[in-house]
Amino acid sequence: MAFEELVKRGEYVWEVPQDAALRMRVPGRIFLSEVLMKYLERGAIQQVANVATLPGIQKWSLAMPDVHTGYGFPIGGVAAFDVSEGILSPGGVGFDINCGTRLLVTTLFKEEIEPRINELTTALFEAIPSGLGSKGQLRLSEKELDGVFWGGAKWAVNQGYGNPADLKHCESNGCLDGADPTKVSPLAKKRGKPQLGSLGSGNHFLEIQCVDRVIDKKAADLFGLKEQQVCIMLHSGSRGAGHQICTDYLKMFQAASRKYSIELPDKQLACVPADSQEARDYFSAMAAAANYAWTNRQVMSYWVRDVLEQQFNTTATLVYDVAHNIAKLEKHTIDGRRKEVYVHRKGATRAFEKDASYGIEQPVLIPGSMGTASYVLHGTKKAMSTTFGSTCHGAGRVLSRKAARRSLTWRGVTEGLQRKHIAIKTDDLSSVPEEAPEAYKPIDEVINVVSKLGISEAVARLTPMGVIKG
Amino acid sequence: MQKYEFLEHTADVTFKAYGRDLNELFENAAEALEDTMVILDEVASGEILTIEMSSDSYENLLYDWLSELLITFEVERFAVKKCFVSIVGFSLTADCLGERLDLNRRRPNAEVKAVTYHNLAVTKNDIYHTEVTLDV
Repeated sequence: MAFEELVKRGEYVWEVPQDAALRMRVPGRIFLSEVLMKYLERGAIQQVANVATLPGIQKWSLAMPDVHTGYGFPIGGVAAFDVSEGILSPGGVGFDINCGTRLLVTTLFKEEIEPRINELTTALFEAIPSGLGSKGQLRLSEKELDGVFWGGAKWAVNQGYGNPADLKHCESNGCLDGADPTKVSPLAKKRGKPQLGSLGSGNHFLEIQCVDRVIDKKAADLFGLKEQQVCIMLHSGSRGAGHQICTDYLKMFQAASRKYSIELPDKQLACVPADSQEARDYFSAMAAAANYAWTNRQVMSYWVRDVLEQQFNTTATLVYDVAHNIAKLEKHTIDGRRKEVYVHRKGATRAFEKDASYGIEQPVLIPGSMGTASYVLHGTKKAMSTTFGSTCHGAGRVLSRKAARRSLTWRGVTEGLQRKHIAIKTDDLSSVPEEAPEAYKPIDEVINVVSKLGISEAVARLTPMGVIKG
Repeated sequence: MQKYEFLEHTADVTFKAYGRDLNELFENAAEALEDTMVILDEVASGEILTIEMSSDSYENLLYDWLSELLITFEVERFAVKKCFVSIVGFSLTADCLGERLDLNRRRPNAEVKAVTYHNLAVTKNDIYHTEVTLDV
């Protein structure tokens, strides 16, 4: 599948034509502007086409504007599968199940923390374990870990890590129904147990941000965001627990795909019929990992609030918490009919037209690369009809980690942050170039495309003041 | 013969490994994984860990083997400097020489989340080769 074969279907809509020779069941759709088209990789187009071959796929295999080559599904990929004739694919969720973003808003304003930004960044860095192989401060029993898998953020709140009001402001109230810890392997439990309440490494981060610009005042007021107000954004997932659950089921599904005679263009797309016992088991384990991730972000929020209390005698309110690596059982209108489908979002964020948390459209959180802006948006009706209620999840990589390390120095990148008065703390300076703005697409352009497409609308733009890179 | 080489991959780490026989292919793939996780020059080889496993194809055996090394590193902090693999049928026995790292003293190189099945194949022309993508 090559660039020349893409057909322009609208201002920002590129179609990957349904190719019978590739056994595609539906066409693909990639949402890009001319600017973002420059970054599109052949491998990503191929992966969009590969996903289109999976049984029961509805309408299109989609890629959001931050798309880049992944493994199996592209990153930025969205696909919905019929609940009875479709499939469930662990590779369509990814290893970091319920990797997601959370935003807390403080009562502080930029000028109040500016003089103490280094102090605050350091205090948060010390309070929240981050980096390679980071371990949490909680010492969980087996039974408590099962409680995490069952209850998600609710478990954390019941243990005193937060307020009941927090749950209302999480996607799915911070707990996916159907989780079953007995479907989680002992090894996944072993990997996950010491890590609860830790950020992890790579592109996971905590940022102190301030609202640089309010774009939609009505929504911003409801979300509690004012210009110059200080926020804390967290990006983390289900740590070793999720990684191992995906590893376990991917392996199991290699044989299961053959059993169900599902032909795969890539082994990483291994999947089983959505109504099979194997799929039910995977969903129960995946939901357990998703709940672990919500607990993880909830526990870290507790430490954030603790630091704010100590340093500024204030607290923070949860704006929203949303996943971008997940499969959800949802109802969508497809060709005029309401249908139950498993929506796989692999590096894509739910962007629903309606959400109970504020009684308006669902808040959407999109982080930029290190040192660049992040956005709060909201879901739209258009997203419901064109992307199964989904939007982008970030800026999207353009440089490999290796290429970033080759072309940028950690000193250059950290000095660049300092020039912008952004404090940085990390326990691995050598990895800093991997998350530099140059390694990613321009976030403002990605947001411009999702806004113009109408699959989400910007509410506020946030800029970083302090970064903790995991 | 080159043991392994890293390729460009936008989000993750992809390597090709080579071997004159399957044993050597699995040894070199293991070294590429360890090379991603730690600074190999700094790892001692005073401890031994024996790993045994069986599977139903060479691809699945390779996936299991690399996943096992990844987990051994994450859970036990055991980094492998050198390993001796013996494959009979789809069964593997390996003696792994390495060191249990003290993370307070030394930090790993990169956190590998998982081994993927993406384009995973064990092939042979003159020599054996494989391509593996790691999620980092």
